[in-house]
Amino acid sequence: MLILAFDTATEAATSALVDDGEVLAERVSRAQTLLEDVDALLRQGGAHPRDLDALAVGVGPGSFTGVRIGLAAARGLALALDVSGAGVSTLAALAAGAPGALPVVDARRREIFTLADGEPAVLAPEALDLDPGTVCVGDGARRYRELLEEKGAEVPPDGDERHLPRARFHAALARDFGPVELVEPLYLRVPDAEQAVKR
Amino acid sequence: MILGIETSCDETAAALVTGEGEIRASVVSSQADLHARYGGVVPEVASRRHLELVTPVIREALSEAGATLDDVDRVAVTQGPGLIGALLVGLAAAKAVAWARRLPLVPVDHLNGHVASLYLQPDPLEPPFLCLLASGGHTMLLDVRGHGEHELLGTTLDDAAGEAFDKGARLLGLGYPGGRELDRLARDGDPKAYAFPVARVPGLDFSFSGLKTALLYAVRDLTPEELEARKADLAASYQHAIVRALVERVREAAAQAGRETIAVVGGVAANSELRASLPDARLAPLALCTDNAAMIASAARFTPAVAYPGYLGLDAYASR
Ligand SMILES: [Zn+2]
Repeated sequence: MLILAFDTATEAATSALVDDGEVLAERVSRAQTLLEDVDALLRQGGAHPRDLDALAVGVGPGSFTGVRIGLAAARGLALALDVSGAGVSTLAALAAGAPGALPVVDARRREIFTLADGEPAVLAPEALDLDPGTVCVGDGARRYRELLEEKGAEVPPDGDERHLPRARFHAALARDFGPVELVEPLYLRVPDAEQAVKR
Repeated sequence: MILGIETSCDETAAALVTGEGEIRASVVSSQADLHARYGGVVPEVASRRHLELVTPVIREALSEAGATLDDVDRVAVTQGPGLIGALLVGLAAAKAVAWARRLPLVPVDHLNGHVASLYLQPDPLEPPFLCLLASGGHTMLLDVRGHGEHELLGTTLDDAAGEAFDKGARLLGLGYPGGRELDRLARDGDPKAYAFPVARVPGLDFSFSGLKTALLYAVRDLTPEELEARKADLAASYQHAIVRALVERVREAAAQAGRETIAVVGGVAANSELRASLPDARLAPLALCTDNAAMIASAARFTPAVAYPGYLGLDAYASR
């Protein structure tokens, strides 16, 4: 099964072409150039778009615009190629790439997306409850390195690839492939305007 | 056939148009109701909805046209100007469809799109002409010399004409978007009841912000009962002031550019008083006045296509 996987939820967009578990090619760039990566992956893997069997797409949490670029591309691909797809949480992919570590994604506005009791959550980095020695990975861990290290966490050097939600893990984690239009973004925050109306 | 995709503001739209400019399908999913509770378009809310709707509208356009993607030879998409997060949804989907099918992509300027709504069948207009583009986001006088070739003669210095309509409607308690409601109410009112001033600015530019303030003052001094009684007169007078300013400037611009044909496009082209005040002008068909994808596909007929793989890294732009 030839799977095209990508995640554009964080600043570094990742993508991978995986055939029955074997990683044929991998890329890291930006959400805006995702399709360039996809094109390069297929050329590297000697595949044609029609050869794709399924998509594995990062659904966030992360940058709202980034998440949407990935999902809009996935929906366009599915429409044109009639392939199925599955969504994979960006946090789950990060965790899979760094076993035992806590994934921390920058949520901007001095907040982070992370797993609290195994569930995706948005909170202030100060509010994070950590066991000493916990390894924290992700762009949020990099951004709040000092604060997390003060709490006794261990944050790998900035260039460490464990900070990236690498798409090979999306391909590995993807389950229950179905219509890509049913793969929903994981925003974890309502739009500001909505909050204002509710008040 | 050209597949057009438009997601620049609060309409998610897809269309299929032939190379000769015949509309085979034009699907527009308006988000107006969604944004009404906020009193205006909220970019994050709009972008979320675009993602939900972008492929369903394409699917619907294909089925309406009785076509499949095999019949499509070009994908056209709005690249800007507009809400950047909203544009990126349409662009990502368009790139993906084009890439998967190895089709060329035509990045279209939204304003060119509005002008190109006049080039569609059954009665396409041929340049040159003087074009007023008036919508919620834009008020522009364009000397259109050829397909996709125009010079900007004048624009608004503050609010767009459609924005002035919507803000006036809100002051009169007509909800959002209120331009259409204000137009309806104005038919029962006296356009001469109030003398609302429209600022004369040099050249061929517009200014509508003073007008809105004048309406605010007029409304502020009224009790709720008085406002109810005078609402139609206020709407009629306010609309008359906007339309008069537009018509005067359009005539001046046409004379200055030496154009005999005047055309009006954009959401405000649906206004009944404006249509009546320019009886000799070419007006975009009502269905093509507000944002739609048929106009984007139409513009693509006169815009160079980018061949695969040149468009894969293409970015959207919020403004020019
Ligand atoms: Zn428009």
